[in-house]
Formats: sequence, C-alpha cells, structure tokens
Amino acid sequence: MAVVANELPKVRRSPTNTKIKRDTHSKRLARIGWAFSTPALLFVALVTIFPIGFSLALSLSNVSVTGNGFSLQGFTFSNYYELLNSSTWRYAMEFTVFYTIATVLVELILGTAIALILERLTKGRGPMMALLLLPWSMITVISAELWQYIYEGTYGVLQSMFSAVGLGSPVFLGSPTPAVVSMMVADIWKTTPFVAVIVVAGLVMLPSEVFEAAAVDGASSWTTFWRITFPLLRPTIAIAVLFRILQAFGLFDLPFVLTGGGPGTSTTSLALLSYKVMFQNIDYGPGAAVAVSATLLVIVGSLLFLRVFKAQVGKEELQ
Amino acid sequence: MSYRTRTSWHKWINPLNLAVLAVVLFIVLPIYWLVISSFKTPVNVGSFPPQYFPNPVSFANYGSAFSHYGFGKYFVNSLTVTVLSTGLVLVIGSLAGYALARLPMRGKAPLLVTLLVISVFPEIAVVSPLYLLMNQIGWLNTYQALIVPYTAFNLPFAIWIMRNYFLGIPKEMEETSRIDGASAIRTYWSIILPQARPGIFTAGVFVFTACWTEFLMALTLDNSNGFRTIPVGIALFGSPNVVPYGTIFAASVIAVIPVGTLVFVFRKFVVSGLTAGAVKG
Amino acid sequence: MKINSNNPEKKGRNKKCGEIVLTFASLALVLAACGSSSTASSNPPSASATSGNLTWWASPIAQVGIRADLISNFEKAYPKIHVTLQSAPTNTDTNRSQLVTEISGGSTSPDVFMGDVIWPAQFGAHGLAVPLSKYLPSSYFTKFAPGLVSGATYNGQVYGSPLFEDQGFLYYRKDLLAKANLPVPTTWSQLESESLTLEHDGLVQYGYVWEGASYEGLTCNFMEYLASAGGTVTNSTYTKANLTSPSAVKAVTFMRSLVTSGASPAAVTTFQEPQAMAVFDSGNAAFLRNWDYAWSNSQTPADSKVVGEVGVAPLPTFTGNSYPGYSNIGGWNLYINPHSKNLAIDLTFIKWMSSTAAQDILGKTYSEIPTVESVRLALASLSSTPPPLKIAAQTKLVPRPAGTPNYPALSSAIYSNVNSALSGSTSVNAALASAQSKAATALAGGI
Repeated sequence: MAVVANELPKVRRSPTNTKIKRDTHSKRLARIGWAFSTPALLFVALVTIFPIGFSLALSLSNVSVTGNGFSLQGFTFSNYYELLNSSTWRYAMEFTVFYTIATVLVELILGTAIALILERLTKGRGPMMALLLLPWSMITVISAELWQYIYEGTYGVLQSMFSAVGLGSPVFLGSPTPAVVSMMVADIWKTTPFVAVIVVAGLVMLPSEVFEAAAVDGASSWTTFWRITFPLLRPTIAIAVLFRILQAFGLFDLPFVLTGGGPGTSTTSLALLSYKVMFQNIDYGPGAAVAVSATLLVIVGSLLFLRVFKAQVGKEELQ
Repeated sequence: MSYRTRTSWHKWINPLNLAVLAVVLFIVLPIYWLVISSFKTPVNVGSFPPQYFPNPVSFANYGSAFSHYGFGKYFVNSLTVTVLSTGLVLVIGSLAGYALARLPMRGKAPLLVTLLVISVFPEIAVVSPLYLLMNQIGWLNTYQALIVPYTAFNLPFAIWIMRNYFLGIPKEMEETSRIDGASAIRTYWSIILPQARPGIFTAGVFVFTACWTEFLMALTLDNSNGFRTIPVGIALFGSPNVVPYGTIFAASVIAVIPVGTLVFVFRKFVVSGLTAGAVKG
Repeated sequence: MKINSNNPEKKGRNKKCGEIVLTFASLALVLAACGSSSTASSNPPSASATSGNLTWWASPIAQVGIRADLISNFEKAYPKIHVTLQSAPTNTDTNRSQLVTEISGGSTSPDVFMGDVIWPAQFGAHGLAVPLSKYLPSSYFTKFAPGLVSGATYNGQVYGSPLFEDQGFLYYRKDLLAKANLPVPTTWSQLESESLTLEHDGLVQYGYVWEGASYEGLTCNFMEYLASAGGTVTNSTYTKANLTSPSAVKAVTFMRSLVTSGASPAAVTTFQEPQAMAVFDSGNAAFLRNWDYAWSNSQTPADSKVVGEVGVAPLPTFTGNSYPGYSNIGGWNLYINPHSKNLAIDLTFIKWMSSTAAQDILGKTYSEIPTVESVRLALASLSSTPPPLKIAAQTKLVPRPAGTPNYPALSSAIYSNVNSALSGSTSVNAALASAQSKAATALAGGI
C-alpha cells in the first residue's frame, strides 16, 4: 500500500486558514466524492466479487466437476502444493515472468519514443494516431492468425523475405528460442500502440509553460526530456506500463493460436496452463490455483515495478 | 521543426522522418499483408512463393463472410454491446476517476489497489462462475449478459487512467467554485470534462477495443446464434481441420472499421492539444 | 519462490487478505450451493417420442451444409420434432471448454452434442454425458464398425453414438510417382527414400508433409508410428506408461529422421492439418498424411492445384511388418446432455443419425466415412465412391489411449515431448524419458 500511496497525487497544499472551516469543507467534499464514485464501485463489486471469490474457493478446496455442478469439499492448500511440485507450473511461471519483463520493457521504450515522435510531427498526427490504433484494435485471435500466416515455415512471407536477402529459410516457430522471440515481436506489434497512445495523451495534457521556460533557457532536447518531460510524464508512463504488465501476464490468446504452447511447452504461459488444466483436463481446483498464483505474482510484480520505477526517477531528479 | 515547401528531397532525410518511416513500416507491413491476403483466392493463400499482390483479386472472401457466415449479424451484436458498455464505463468511470483524483476521500489507496487486483484476475478463472451467475439470473444469451461484465471488468482500468489525467489538470480552476453537490457536478461538467477530453478519449478507445475484441466471455455467455459477437462468430469459420485465412482476414478488415472511424472522428481531441506550441520532449 | 521471499515484509497485509479470502470463499460456497440445487431431472424416455424440440450442438463439418441437410432430412422423417442447430466453435478445445462450462453449470441446452471420439471417458467420468447404453439395447451398438463402440465406452457404459469416422491416410501425387517410376510406398523407410529421390530429381520441393506441431494431431501421428513399431502408450488398465519402450524409441527416432534427412520440411514441426494441406494443395509436396477431408479438399479447384493428380493409400508400416500400417481413429460421436429435458426425443434423433438414411447422406453426398458397417461396405462397392471411403475398410485402426479420464493430460505429455524431439531441442531418449514421467503424473491425475 505504501508504494501506491506514494504514487497518489502530490496535492498542492493551499495555505491553511482556520482548521475547523477546512474540516467541514473537506468532509462535504468527501461526501461528494463518495457519491461520485459509488455507482462505479458498486457496479464493479456486484459483478466481480462472486466470480473472483468463487475462483479463490475453487483453488482452496477439493473440487470435483460433475454433471450436477461443482462440488467443493474441505479447505486445503493441496492445489497449491501440487503447483509447487510441478515442473510444468514452474516453467510456465518463469516463462511468463521473463516474457512480461522483456516485452513490456521493449514496449515502454518503443512506445515512449513513438509518442515523442508523434508529438514532434507538424503534419499527419491524426492519421498516425489512427494507424497506431489499428494493430491494437485487431481481435487478438485474428492477429495471432495473421502472424501465424506470416511466420509459416514453408509459404510464409517472412521466410521468403529472409531467403531473398540471403538469410536462409528459418522456421520461426519451430524451436523454442525463435518461437519465443517471434511471439514477442507479434505482441510488441499489437500492444506498443497502447503505451504510445496513453503517453501521447499524457504529453498533450502537460502544461506548456514549463517547456517554454526550458526553451528560453536553451536546454537541449535530450536534457529537456530527461529533466522535464520524463519526470512529468512519470505517472502516465507508470500507468501505461502497469496495465501492460497486467495484460502481458495474462498472455493467453497469442500462444493459444500461434504456437499452441509449443514447441514442446516452451510458450505455455500461466494463463494458457490454467486454461488447459481447467478446461482440457477438467481439473478446476489446480486450474484455479494456477490463476490465483498468476494474480499474486503479478500484484507483487506491479508493486515492485512502481517502487523501482520511482527510485530511478528520483535519482534523475537529483542531478 | 517546420518544413519549407521548396526543400529538395534529401532535406527530408533526417532522424525524425526516418524514425517515422520505420514505425510506419513496422505497423503497416503486417496490416498490408492482412488486407491483400483477404483478396486472395483460397488456393493462392497457400501459394509458394507468396503473392505480394493478389492475382487474381478476389472478393469471394468478403462475400462468404457475409452470406455464408452471417457476419452482418455479428457486427450488429458487437456494435450494440461495445457502444453501450463503453458509454456506461465512461459515464460512471469518469465520475469515480474524478472523485478519486481530486476529492479528499479516505481509503483511496486501498480502493485503487483493490480495483487493480480485480482487473488483474485472469479472465479464464472468472468465466465459469460468471456463467453460473448469469444462468442463475436468466441472463444467458442477452445483450446485458455481456454489457454488465464488460462494464465491470473495464471500469478499473478506465478509472485508473482517467484519474491520472484528471490529476494533470491545474487545480486552481475548480477549487473556488466548488461548494455543494450540485455545483460540484456543474464544475465537473463544465470545467473538468472539457479539459480532460484527451484522457477520456484515450480511455474510451481502449475500453471500446477491449469490448470489441473480447472472446472468452462472449463465447461463454452469449453463445446462441442470435447474440454472437464478431470474435465468437469468426471462431465458427471453417471446420476443425480447415482454417479459411482469406475469409477470416476479410472479416477482420471489416471489424477494424469502427475503431478506425472512432479515432478519425474524435482525433481532434488528441491532436488539438498537441498544437499548444512548445515541443514537450 | 519470489512470493515467499517477499512475504515477511508484508505480514500486516497478508492477514487482511486472508480475511477477505475467507469471506469471499464462504460467499461463493453459499452461491454455489444455490447453483447446484437447480439441476434438472430428466424425464424418463417414453416409447413414442415423435414430437417436441431439440437443440443440436455441432461444429462445422468439412463440407458446407452437412448439418443442415441432416436436420432437414430428420425433420422430414419426424415432422413434429423441431431441431435447432447451435453452431459450435471449430477449434475442438474451445468447443469442449464451452460444453464443460455449460453442462457443469447446469444448462439444459444443448440437448444433443457432437463431440470428439476421445471424449467418452472424460465426459463419462465427470457425468457430462448420458450413458446411452442405459437407454438403448445392446443390439443398437452391434451395427457399428469394429472398434468404434469400444472407443466410446467407459466403465462398462457406452457414452457416444458414432456419427462419422475418420482416420489417417497417405495421399500421394500419382503424376510424380509415374515420372520417377516409383511405386506407392508400403514401408516408412520406402516413403522416406522416395521422398528424397523426388526432391533430388527436382520434381517437388518437399517429400512428405504431416502434422508435427505441439498439439493433439501429433499424438494421432505418433500413434500410427508407435502401433507400426508394435508399441502401446500405456498398459491396458491405464496405470503405467510405456513411453520409453524400444517401440516408442523406434517410432520417434524415425519421425525425427524424416526431418533431419530432409524428407519432410523442418517446418513440419509447426504443421497442423491446414498447413500440411496447403503445402500439398499448392503442389509442393509429394506425400501427405491427413484425414478423409483431404481428398475432397485436394480435388476442389478453388482450393487445390493438384486436382486429378492425387492418389490415396493406407499408411505404410515399418519394414518386416505386414502391410498396411495402422491408421489412427478420429471422427465424431453424438452425446446427450444429462440435463436435457427431452431425453426421449434426443434418443430418437441419435437413432435416426445412425440409420441407413442418415449414414448414406454422410457417405454418398459428403464423403464422410460412415460408422455403420453395412452402409460402409455397400458404399465401398460403388464405383462413384471417393477413394478414401473405398480403402477405409481395408486399413488397420489404432485408437488413441483415451480410455482414461486423464487422457488430455496424457496426450499433452506425448505431443509436447515428441515435438521437442522432432525440432531437435531435446534428444529422442531425453524427450521420451520426459514424456514417460509426465505421462505417469497425468495418469495419476496431476498436472
């Protein structure tokens, strides 16, 4: 919580008048605040508490699926012990963590760069925005099928482009490392625009005065970026990256279509494993445990990210 | 960074333009491949070497998407569900985002973290219980069976992102005028919302695409012939051993149109802010 | 592991989370209890079920219009029964996950569903399908071709009524074999050497294409080599796996050699049916292992450049064994949802689907392999019958080891490890050792 609390706005404190007056004022404002947020919070709570609670319950009991529904018996951690002893889960966990860090890092850099490029363009920003959003708005299953078609190992267009420039005839999805890299490229293609568009909107809403001042000071654009733009954009970038971490950790559709989790099991993510255990093996207890384990991991990961990201930014500001 | 009209071509070669070119190529080439493949005949989809331009150009894939697979109905269903969900998320989500950004409420941090946890939870794990729930209240195979969960599961992200943009609006503007509930709404409506348009637009686009492309819930909750959305409909193309790439790509080209239109219509919300003057990076 | 190392510094929050978990869990249990009480009880089947409504869940079958044609003929025979077709996703895993969610969620619809031949044990064990043998006389099941009913049986009960069968065939290019003066291969090594000859002569780019990706289809392919080599996946009671046996080593070593020798393209380790089919249809492969649909697909000018040049044969075997080799059994059965309100009508529908009339439509009009032995034999003698249906009766069949409810995990242990061996990222012996240990876990019900 501490981390997130630090992430909260640095509210510009107005000079204090009388303490009492401020208290009644802020109480009233708090009431308005709750009135504003109750519809949304209630909506979320009503719809999500049962499914999430049910999954937690599944992961913590002996579940049997019968034609008469789910039967949950006892309270047990055995589903989680099963995971910890399973090499399949361990690999899926390591793969998902690695994949998330690697793709999100590339997207962070690429997305911010694209946003800055877009911001400097004097012409054609509208069309560029629309273009950026095309990959993002594509149905994931279809973009996976598109990339499968591009990567295909005998009539795929990428292979014929490689061989045209003398790079042989690689089978992109045929062995573990190239398959993971190919999947990352497909993912980066589709999701970098998410980061870029969020950052662009953040850039747009930055106050111009600061930059005008910097321009008067004659700061180079590199200095301006690191000393002004980046610190101001930090919360926006943090949110973009945070949600990308969450999405990347839930990686499912892409390996489901593109590789089926292969070659071998090299692209089996936690979400894909959870799907296979739940729906193919009809083993809901361990399947739900995989899903919950993924949630716990990604929450720890996100909090860690917020802390690390903040620390680095802090150093920059000290220069 | 302004361009004069009478420059020769080599003046165009600078790092910025090359970067733009690289970005455009990386984004466009796969889309080009998608579009031209949707005009290939089935036999040419698998031809070797690949055809870089369809020959002959065939519209059969588009025809079969609509006539054979009833794509039109899926399109209408998707549009209904997506527009209503997005509208709902933006209305109640922006209010909450504003309150969480600006109003002195206690327990904001735990609330935001809870919202985060909800949006993290894998969809795969919630579809079965959601099915039980919807079956219980008799909502299976209705529009609300998707609109309600879409709204709920997209609200956390929308609240987080809109809250962030609200934080960026200078505080002085609203502080004096805010006294009671009615005027708070007025302030929100006439002062805050117009300023936050880029942020709301961004949230809207992302919620729209999230609903538009969602597969698992749509498959599970709206699975009768009359209520299927585009992603579910496309999952019925072909047969277990046949993947009709051409038809799938044709459907996908059409499916991209609404988002493209949305961005085109509202682009000035984002672009207008960019003309502020000084370069910000 | 990372969770553990991070936990101590967040003790306070964990406690809180624990409470929340418990609250959620108890709430969920209450609701789940409500959910399961709504289970429908099916009416006992009446003798004359000739009017009512029925929903049939079926994924698209290879050729367009089969399902609608079957329905309209059924409705002609039973004018007072109305059948609604609910189209299922084409991906078999998606199809199953949807059915499992609906039926375990207590849904009364669909009434009848078309499901894979490998589902009976799993669906039977979880109560997701009605044991048909409780309602149909044993004489009903004697009309099907050998092996199909035993494949649909679990714990002494038959859960699926065979609708149409499928099996692996060897498709070859008649024109290329004639040019090179080569016979249709009858052994695996002959297939490999002929492939290499045709490639070296520049007649074709790739020799033999098949399904080697990490998915269910690879298990099907593997079973054909394994059976030829005289091996089995498990013992007959599904308590012990045999995946490190000499036969298994022989099978996978040969499969790997197809890739290393160049008889098959390296990309075969990423092939499912559509990719293998596309390479063959575009004229770039001499041999193809595929199912029954590949015949009509390769003979449709819109899909294929090799119309009229294709021959079909049973699959080869290993040298020293009697020809033909083994074909893996595929195909689809009809199952009944245990919550169906119209069991009697469901049975009427299922019975009609295995009637001569329905099986004739499947075989004659749409070239699917009928499951009823008499219809299959009658078709084989007609000159107009497509070649795969003619030779279907001559082939030896091998089922997948699907008699255990843990089959999906068992199959995954097979295909993921065999795929690793094919791509060369693991040695054959190491891959099979890993398959053996994963298979043991699977048979014990683990993940």
